[in-house]
Amino acid sequence: MSSEKAISEKAIVVKGLSFIYKGEDTTPAVKELELSVDRGEFVVIMGPSGAGKSTLANSLNGLIPGFMKGKYSGSVLINGTEVKGTPVSRMANEIGLVFQDFEAQLFSTNVNLEVAFGPENFGVPRDEIIERIGSVLKTVKLEGFEDRQPATLSGGQKQRLAIGSVLATYPDIICMDEPTTDLDPVGKLGIFTIAKELHRSKRFTLVIIEHETEEALHADRVIVMKDGEILKQGKPLDVLRDVRFTDEVGIMSLQVPKYFKELLDCDNCDLPLKPDDGYEFFTQQGLKIDEAKYKELLARDRERENSYGDAVIKVENLTHVYPNGNKAVDGISLNIREREFIAILGHNGSGKTTLVKHFNALLAPTEGNITVCGKNSREHSIFEIGKDIGYVFQNPDHQIFADTVYDEIAFSPKIRGCSEEEVKVRVSEALEAVEMSGYEESDPFSLSKGERQRVAVASVLSARPKIIVLDEPTTGLDYKEQKRMMELIKKLNSSGHTIVMITHTMWVVAEYAHRVAAVKDGRVMIDGTTREVFAREKELYDSYLKTPHIVSLSNMLEHTVLSIDEMKHCTGGLE
Amino acid sequence: MDMFLYMDLNTMLHRLDPRTKLLLMLLSFALGVMYKNIVVLLAVLLIVLMYGAMGHILSNLKRIRVVLIMITLFSVVIWSIAESGETRFLIFSLEGVLYGIMIAIKTNLMIVAGMIFLSTTKIEEIAEGLVKLKVPYRGAFAFSTAIRLVPMIVATSYTIIQAQKSRGLDLESGNLFEKIKKYVPLMIPTLVSVIRGTNVFSMALESKGFGYSNTRTNFLKIKMSGTDYLMLIIGLVIVAAASYLKFDPAAYNTLITLFPWGDFA
Repeated sequence: MSSEKAISEKAIVVKGLSFIYKGEDTTPAVKELELSVDRGEFVVIMGPSGAGKSTLANSLNGLIPGFMKGKYSGSVLINGTEVKGTPVSRMANEIGLVFQDFEAQLFSTNVNLEVAFGPENFGVPRDEIIERIGSVLKTVKLEGFEDRQPATLSGGQKQRLAIGSVLATYPDIICMDEPTTDLDPVGKLGIFTIAKELHRSKRFTLVIIEHETEEALHADRVIVMKDGEILKQGKPLDVLRDVRFTDEVGIMSLQVPKYFKELLDCDNCDLPLKPDDGYEFFTQQGLKIDEAKYKELLARDRERENSYGDAVIKVENLTHVYPNGNKAVDGISLNIREREFIAILGHNGSGKTTLVKHFNALLAPTEGNITVCGKNSREHSIFEIGKDIGYVFQNPDHQIFADTVYDEIAFSPKIRGCSEEEVKVRVSEALEAVEMSGYEESDPFSLSKGERQRVAVASVLSARPKIIVLDEPTTGLDYKEQKRMMELIKKLNSSGHTIVMITHTMWVVAEYAHRVAAVKDGRVMIDGTTREVFAREKELYDSYLKTPHIVSLSNMLEHTVLSIDEMKHCTGGLE
Repeated sequence: MDMFLYMDLNTMLHRLDPRTKLLLMLLSFALGVMYKNIVVLLAVLLIVLMYGAMGHILSNLKRIRVVLIMITLFSVVIWSIAESGETRFLIFSLEGVLYGIMIAIKTNLMIVAGMIFLSTTKIEEIAEGLVKLKVPYRGAFAFSTAIRLVPMIVATSYTIIQAQKSRGLDLESGNLFEKIKKYVPLMIPTLVSVIRGTNVFSMALESKGFGYSNTRTNFLKIKMSGTDYLMLIIGLVIVAAASYLKFDPAAYNTLITLFPWGDFA
């Protein structure tokens, strides 16, 4: 095997790979793909949903065509070994694959055993396994966790363990399929730190599929895919500087070059990519922040704040202790006013979901009180409080059950005793709100993730709640779908709904939320308008929350703007 | 939410070889099946509880207390109505009550014994123990995976119940037929999620080299020690004593004369 590795210089060679999943007759998931990756290279693959990124990843270790069946043509060589016809378990020695869903890929009783599983399968002697556990846990920064149950780890730690369990078979290629999607900013940072370190050691070839444009900057090469084809590849600077291209493909453009491109309206100028370069460029160009325009923004904020109604959710000194003694919420007091749009931030396990589950009486306070629209949650059932407040869970698949979209959305009004006509009116109204009119007879399970998420929102809207709670509504969606989801939520907010949203996605918070509450260890650490909170960049960074690039740039200029549009509005000094 | 039954402690019971614990559990099952006598079953239950106390895991029984209590209640109520007997008050018979108690002890005894096994033995140890007992590794792994999946399914269905309750699903009201219909919104998402989850699970398994070769190393070292043999001997002695009691007519008659109300053989 080692001689083979010596012969082939390339770690990965993909030649004319096409694959059509069984059951889908015509549309190939990847088309005539050509790709070669050098040993030691760090490649990031980006692209909208349905681009064929995961299909490519699964072809690398033989899950395609070994595990998932379909029409396969072309060839994939990993370290010189033809993947087709080689068992997946044999490939595990060459290439390690890490999945997005960290819950489902961990299955052992403790961290040691999880890491040992791979080497055990390969018959590695026990003494060497012990050595490997030590070195792997050091790499993924989980030393001291040897005897912990994976279930008791935080999201970021779980994903790091998943990486470690794959590293333990000593593959020299690691492929991660959207490893940070379900993670908070701290967890994300941890994964990218590990990736960078693996890359530095020169021993590993890294392939990471990722949504976050800002993180792709560290790679050697960025590959952009769409509809099963590679559209463009090259150095991250070159690919990502082309804002027109990234906009077109539907991946999130870097904010700093996008801002300057739209401001200066130039196509081929050498635009800065990061906030600090942007700051230099800004001053070089003789630009400045127009104070009068900036005051307009502040005035708009104030006006919006004055338009809010009375408090609809009152949280008084709330404490929640789980039966196992874990104190998840520790004395939180919070008022949310009518028509407010509040984002609740915090790391995995900070208690934000526990807090929010009290709002519709899914959980009862251990101490303290919750009042929703004047109803105390101790005295009213979920059913009654549910008339005023709708809760959209993170994973739409945890609630979709009906054969048609219509029945799915009609569920709530029907159960609340609405007449047949009334139900019809409400369903069409809800579908219109989520821009899915005409989908009544579709099978919800055949829709895309973004569409299923919107059906889930509609099925809550049909109960006509005053307040809507959304738990990570943009997780697992690509940039276009995220944007669409957020525009929808914004529309609901301006039509009078109060919005409470849990999220990890910072640009979403910056552009859409009116107010931010950051929860840490069961307490509210920071609470204020989005502008106030994002101005405290240092403090946020200490809680491992990173402001988007455009916010960072404006903070360097001693003002806080929240979006590219706001920044353009406030820029003065143009000739 | 932590749904695993295993309690990570370091007691004598935890250190026992999984084969020993498996065998002791089977012996307690055997005793449970063998006897229809309240006094004997109660004695066995006490011994099993003492055995569990050595592992400091009896607090785990609190998690299934509802099940244990419901079994007891149902068994007593149903048998007291269903069993014929001479001493009746209203529709209940005294013999029935006693018979119900006997059945309840029998069932709870087995549940508690199983619970002690799962609370003190890692899933990997169970698999490893089965392999040492000549079960093929794939079979042993499949069995241990089944145990592993239970907490995953419970956790998923918990989330799904919350999601549907938020949409207004009210599981309490309605007659039996209506109630069954109400479980559709729970069953389908649970099935879908479990199928998706197990799919990723099996892909992750293969991606870590599962089934690469038949000679597999075992990180966990299990070995029968002196304590194991001692525990096994104690277990066997108890079973032998119980068998003697059952199959020696004189001894059995003495037992029945002492506690005439407790026997249903």
